Parts: sequence; C-alpha cells; structure tokens
Amino acid sequence: MAEVKMLTEHYADNNFQTIEGYQSKKGYEMLKKALNMQPTEIISLVKESGLRGRGGAGFPTGMKWSFLPNNGEDRYLLCNADEGEPCTFKDRMMMERAPHQLIEGMIISAFAVQSKKSYIYIRGEYTHAIKVVEKAIKEAYKAGFLGKDILGSHFSHDMDVYSGAGAYICGEETGMISSLEGLKGQPKLKPPFPAVKGYLGKPTIVNNVETLASVIYILRDGVEAYRKFGTQKSPGTKLFSVSGDVMKPGNYEVPLGYKMKDLIEIECGGLKPGRKLKAVIPGGTSAPVLTEEEANRATLDYECLADMKSMLGSGSIVVIDDSRCMVDLLGVITHFYHHESCGQCTPCREGTGWLNKVVNAIKAGRGSQQDIDTLCKIADNMKGRTICALSDAAALPVLSFVPKFRSEFEYYIREGKSQVRGISYAEMHH
Amino acid sequence: MLKCTINGKPVEVKPGTSIIQAFKQLGEEIAHYCWHPALSVAGVCRLCMVEIEGNPRLQIACNTTVAEGMVVTNQSEKVKDAVKWGMDFHLINHPLDCPICDQAGECGLQDQYMKFGKYDPEMAEKKVNKRKVVDLGERVVLDSERCILCSRCVRFTEEITKTNELGIFNRGDRSEIGTFEGKPLDNNYSVNTVDICPVGALTSKDFRFKQRVWFLKDKASICNGCSTGCNVEVDYNKEGIWRLRPRYNEQVNGYWMCDVGRDVYKNVNRVHTDVEGERGEKQVKKSISRLVQAVHRLNGQSEYMQTGFAVSKVRETLSQYKKGDVALVVTGQQTSEEYEALLSYFTKSFAADDVFHWQNNPEAWGEFDGLLLRGDRNPNTKGLIKAFEKHKVKSTAWTQDLGKYKLVLLVAPENLAAYPNIREKADLLKNNKTVVVLTTSQIPEFANLPDETWQIPMKSFMEKAGTFVNFSGLEQKFAPVTTIVDAAVSADEFVAALNGQALEQVQKIYTNPTERVENQFIFQRGSL
Repeated sequence: MAEVKMLTEHYADNNFQTIEGYQSKKGYEMLKKALNMQPTEIISLVKESGLRGRGGAGFPTGMKWSFLPNNGEDRYLLCNADEGEPCTFKDRMMMERAPHQLIEGMIISAFAVQSKKSYIYIRGEYTHAIKVVEKAIKEAYKAGFLGKDILGSHFSHDMDVYSGAGAYICGEETGMISSLEGLKGQPKLKPPFPAVKGYLGKPTIVNNVETLASVIYILRDGVEAYRKFGTQKSPGTKLFSVSGDVMKPGNYEVPLGYKMKDLIEIECGGLKPGRKLKAVIPGGTSAPVLTEEEANRATLDYECLADMKSMLGSGSIVVIDDSRCMVDLLGVITHFYHHESCGQCTPCREGTGWLNKVVNAIKAGRGSQQDIDTLCKIADNMKGRTICALSDAAALPVLSFVPKFRSEFEYYIREGKSQVRGISYAEMHH
Repeated sequence: MLKCTINGKPVEVKPGTSIIQAFKQLGEEIAHYCWHPALSVAGVCRLCMVEIEGNPRLQIACNTTVAEGMVVTNQSEKVKDAVKWGMDFHLINHPLDCPICDQAGECGLQDQYMKFGKYDPEMAEKKVNKRKVVDLGERVVLDSERCILCSRCVRFTEEITKTNELGIFNRGDRSEIGTFEGKPLDNNYSVNTVDICPVGALTSKDFRFKQRVWFLKDKASICNGCSTGCNVEVDYNKEGIWRLRPRYNEQVNGYWMCDVGRDVYKNVNRVHTDVEGERGEKQVKKSISRLVQAVHRLNGQSEYMQTGFAVSKVRETLSQYKKGDVALVVTGQQTSEEYEALLSYFTKSFAADDVFHWQNNPEAWGEFDGLLLRGDRNPNTKGLIKAFEKHKVKSTAWTQDLGKYKLVLLVAPENLAAYPNIREKADLLKNNKTVVVLTTSQIPEFANLPDETWQIPMKSFMEKAGTFVNFSGLEQKFAPVTTIVDAAVSADEFVAALNGQALEQVQKIYTNPTERVENQFIFQRGSL
C-alpha cells in the first residue's frame, strides 16, 4: 500500500482553488447531503469513523463534539489553522490548494454541532493562505453555501478569517481563543474546557484544518469505506509533512499505520546518497525523537508511536541523517520553545530559558558533565506542571535527545566540539 | 457539605470549595503565590501542587474543586519535590538581593524557601536582566527582576479597582509588569498592589528604604480617614508609626484599604510633611508638628506649661462662667467615649444648645467611590450624632461667629487633610475673649487668635482606646497602639480633670518614654 489520495486527490489541479473548479470535482455535494441529514446523525458518523484530531493531540473528533452542553447557548466552531509546530506545513498546502474543501468541511461540521458562526484562525505568516481562504469564503457566500438559510435548509452560518500574529502559543486551543477574543495569546486554565466555556464564554469546538476537511470524506464514502484505511484505533488517511535529509521532502497523504521506513524510502526517495539514517522526529519538534532502529520499525499511527513513548503529533516527520549534530539540533529546538513560551506558568517561563542556556553553554564549549543531568532534571520538572502543553513540548525533546544520544553530548562537553562535524559551534560560525 | 481528607485529616467543606480553600480552612500549610482569596484564579505559579488519590498527575489546588471523598495530600515526596522545583524555577532569575530589598522579612520567596526549598541552586547560567526602579505611579515603584509574574497586581487593577492600569508585557522569561504610555498606576487603591505582591517587586514609595520590617511591631487599629472605618494593622516602632496595612474584615473593608487612608498615620507622628505638587517636581508644601506641650497665649506672649497645670487653669476659668457663657465645638473625629465625657460634662454645667458640630463639606458626605472611600472623612460622625441624641443636644452646624460666648471650648480635628476650611473657621473665633483648643497638631490658625488661647495637646486615635461608629452604624472598638506625645490627653481624660481629678491619675501612657527615642529621622527622610 502506498500513497492514498483522498484529501489531496485534486490538489495538483490549479482550478481546484476556485469554486467552479471545486464544484466540477463534486465539491459542495456533501454539504447538500449533510443539510438533509440530522445533525446528530453526522456526529454519530464521525464518532463511528474514529476520526482523530489531526492537529497533534489525536483526540477523537466525534467525542469532542458530543461534549457540547445542550443549554441553548450560542456555539462557536473554530478552525485551528495556526500551524505553528516547527516542520509542519500540511494545513498551509490544504488552504492554499483547496480552500473550498476546508470551507465545506467546516459548514458540515458547523451544521453537525449547530453553530451559527465560525472563525478560521490562520497563522499570520501564511499571508497567501489568508488571501486564498478569504477569497474562497466570498465565493461561497455568493454561491449561497454561507449566510442565511443555506440551500433552503433553514440553517444559517457565517464564517470569517482571523489572522494570527506569529505566536506559536496561539495554536494551543485556549491560547487561540484568548487571541481571538482580543486578549494576549495565553492559554486559559482548564477546566472549564472550551466545549463548555470557550470563545466569549460560550461552548466552542476547535478543530484542525485537516480534521474538518476529513469530515467530507467520511460523509462521502461512509464509515466502513473510511475505516478501510488506517488501523483500528487510527482510521483514515493523514497528511505527513516530511522534511530534513530526504531526496523529496514534501506533503504526502498515506493511510495511518503506514510504515515510516516506507514513507522515507519509497515516497520520499530515500536519504541523500552516501548518508545513513540517524534519527527521526515523528510529529513536529515537540515529539520525542526516534533512533534509527525505532524509526525503522515504527508505523505511522497514534498507538505505535505512543508505545515508543513518542507521538504522531501533527504528522511532521523530520529525517535526520548522520551528518547532523544532535547537540546543535537540540539547541535549535530549545531556542524555539524559549522564544515561544507565553510566560504565564513559572516552570515553563523559567525552564525553557534555562534549558536553552544550558544547551548554549555546551555548544559554546562551556559545558560540564553535570549539565547533562541538569538538562534532564529541568525537563523532568517542567513536564505536566503547567496550564498547557508547551512546557511538555519543550521538555520532551530534551528528555529524548539527551538519553538517546548521550554520547554526542558527552563528547561535545569533553572536547568542546561536535562529534559529528569535528568543529565547535564557534568555529562553524566564525 | 462535602467530606474530604487533607493530609490525613478529615474536613467538611461547602460544595464548590477549591482544594486550596480547604487547606486554608483546615489551617494546613500550602505554598502559593498567585492565588489570593479575593482575586480570580490564575493558576500560574504552579506551587500549590497536591496529590489526589487515584490521579497520577499532580494537580494545582487552586483550580481543583473538592469532590466527595477526595483524599488529598501535599506531604508526599512527589509533591515536595515538585514544590522544591517550583521554588527553583521562581528563583533562578530572581536577583536574590534580599539585603537591600524592602520586602525582606515578609517575602513570600523567603518564607516558602525556608519551608519548602532549602536546596543548593543548580542554575549556573546568566540571569535575565530586566528593568529596575520603574516608576509605576504616584505611590508605587516596580523592580521587574524581583517580580515572579504571579499577576496578582494585574488582576487587582482588573477585578477590584477595574482601572486596568497594569498589564504583563512581552512573553516568556522576557515578560514584565508595566503600565501603558501616559497611563500611570494612580488609582486610590494602588498601594494594595504592594500589599498583595508576594515579593519585593512592588514597593511603596512612602515606606521603601525607611525601616526593616523586623524592627517593626504591629497592632490592630481602625483607620480614621473616613466613615468607612477600614480595619488596619499599624506598623510602628520606638521612632513612631511607619505604615498602615489593611486588616481583613469581611464586613467592612475585605482585604483592602485606600491610599487616602494610608496617610493618616502621618498625623500621629511628631513631625510630618505634607507634600503637594506635580510628580517629579515635588516640593514640601508645609510641615505639621504634633503639639507636644500645653501653650497659653495672652497678649501675644506664649507660655509653655505642663498639661496638668494648663487644665487646672482652664478649670478655674470655666468655673467663673455659667450657662450661655460657654460654647463647645466638636468634630466627627473623636471617639464615642470622648463624646460621652464631653457632652455629659458640658450639658451638666452649661447649655446643651451651645454645642456646635464642626462639619467639613457636609454636602459631600453622601459620596462614595464604590469601593471603600466615603465623602464623610470623619471616622465617627455617626457616633457623634448618637451622643447628641442621647444628651438631647440640638446638633447645630458651626457656621456662625461665636463672639457672643465668653469662652469657646474647641476640640480640633485630628486629620487636618480632611479639613481644608480651618482659616475661615478661625475667623469665626476672632471676637472671642478666651478659646480653649484641644488639638493633636500645632494649628497656626488657632495659635494666633486675638485674645487669650489655651492649646491643650490631645492624643491621636492611635494613642487611646475607643470606639468609632462607621457609616453603617457598625461600632468598632480599638486599642491604643503606642504613645507618641507624653503630654497629650484624650478628651475624656481632659474632662475628668475638669471634674476635679488629678490629671496624673487619669492620664494613661501606653509606652514608657524610655522605650522611645526622639524621632529626628522622620523629618530628615521626609517623603522620598
């Protein structure tokens, strides 16, 4: 089994961005079907399909939807398109190539959860995607797929685009809600969860771009056909953003449960000639790194990677070959999380900076053997101690890089230079 | 009621109670910085970690509500280690400048470190540098490096004063508390942010660099700044009074007091300066001193004497007069006990109709700022009116010239800041032959009255016991804090002496003079 093009079937067609092109490929057909169904029917379908959130946490979508309280309050559907996880670029392609796919998926989902208003929160750097989606929303309004009384169904829905301003933390759902409310983008305390008290204090569902688009295909093919792909616990197909030391980096749609080794070697054309695989980060930089051995037996689904104490995350695979220094890479990662911590919770605010400083000290040749333990201790005490998962995201790379590639760290500290490159960081940047 | 077990002790709490409240209810120690009973839950300091049976992850006590049968502990090794690390994260970028920090001695970081920390620091990297000595407003200074970003002050301006002057700017370990351009922290409750700041980040301009807190004693009292009667804690030592802090009273002031009230201690100290003028170009407008000796002034000649002698002379003078010859002027600034003594003496010897009520802008008395400060800047107007009623005194507002009386006995206000019209009131006395003024401060306007003036030093509210009846009729008793002026008498002691008792026998001195030192520093240090 190789690449399966379900979501990405028509992505090569430039016309697919326009409403005409989208409709010519049976676009908005499923919306018509959905509007003739009962909202609860759609929720059960999504539940049965086993669709799991594609943003990173992998929470079952149908279950999330059923958490909404039945108290007659206004509900909001938010699309999380603040794709901030380093090395992830699937949502960007989806929005740029197939904006109507997202919009259709959102209208169907909004109908299922009976929400009258939705926002697409797009990462601020994605200026092109913002333009494309805004244009597509206008087209959808014109065609009567958005607005009052959609296709005579008595269901009304409005949709808007909201541009982020470049903060990673706004990809955390409550951080995103704060940002959307006009507040500083900082995660909120849970409980209460957004499904109970979210945007403007109202019940709110936050879903990833890919998750919302997938709903169309569950409706189109039915639960059984959808479940044909993937594994029992991770059904369907998923987009993987492959980057790093492969011949053909890019987005690939494969069924969940696909072998990581195959994805790297078949779809991505393998590593550069003469290079050997050293490690793979399977789900964005916050996912614990896998060694070559682990990567070779890993399958791309939520449960296998969880067993390996890593995670599928957003599905961004970073392939690392033997020419890369793990100390340098960890430096890049800790720098990122230090820069992006919102500063609310003390362990994360102080810990991310501390981690980065220790790694920088090692890179600058000022490290001591104790630093290795210190790094692990700091990371250990940042994990699970904060409001949101950013602290964990900063801690997990440290807790995997350091033990799994301890010798490289020890060498760097002892010799003051990289074991792989043979020169120090300072020399490299001289 | 829900039953739960905290650190092995059973406790019953109301539904909706958070675990941290249950800890407090039980009197169990729990580390915390960001949680404050009067503010919303922020859940950011991550120190109030507890282990709940059946939950593998540690939870924060402030944002977890108690459920029936819950078994909670913060004594397990897991929690202790988490709290220790929580402390370490708080301290790695803290400057640890305790020796020069005003908060030292009452600092949350010091307290928690001694209780839960006591480890060797592992941080070997360079600390983050932030702004020092940031002028936030009229009364508060910020040191960003000491700040632990608990957000209490931000939530205070958001939720209590609703003025929103403060915010946290920037993110990550570059986060800092700050104000917006041209919008300083200058609401009337700003010093409360200093009180709730668990560290030395926010300090009061009035108090900073003046005393180490371990040299101060504190006693409970009632603020006499307005008719609300906020409960306060008075910090004093042998040099005098140094600051007031709010004392929790759910019925009256909650956890807060206003900035106007913070200044009332200055009237008690021997010398204090009233500073007026724009910020940045401060100038000392006037300095007011306590009256420390009785003064008799006749034909421009002043004679200083012991209080007992002065009172006996006043007694002699009064004995020559009959009903209609003498007027009594009182303000709402004395205690109920003093009103009782004054009015029972006066109505017995003289005419009840000759009692005058000196009111400072009564038209503003109904005003209220919505939080604590009331337009009636007298602590005991209600008490005075009660006493008037009891002694069947017609309460006459003092607006006319009292020239027809041979002697006026005037009990001057203590808080002169609340009495801006002293000059015009002094004019109403210029046709009197003899004026006897009981006063805490030297009031130049009364010292230069035309004929004969007796000035008797009076005790301030912190030097006597008594009762204030607040705006709502709530009677609040208070005990003396200390003695600042030995020669001073309270109005009831004065009356007892007028009734023939020896002043030495009735006058109560609460602090032995040998325990006190002349306070030269207050004047020299002035207001920084």
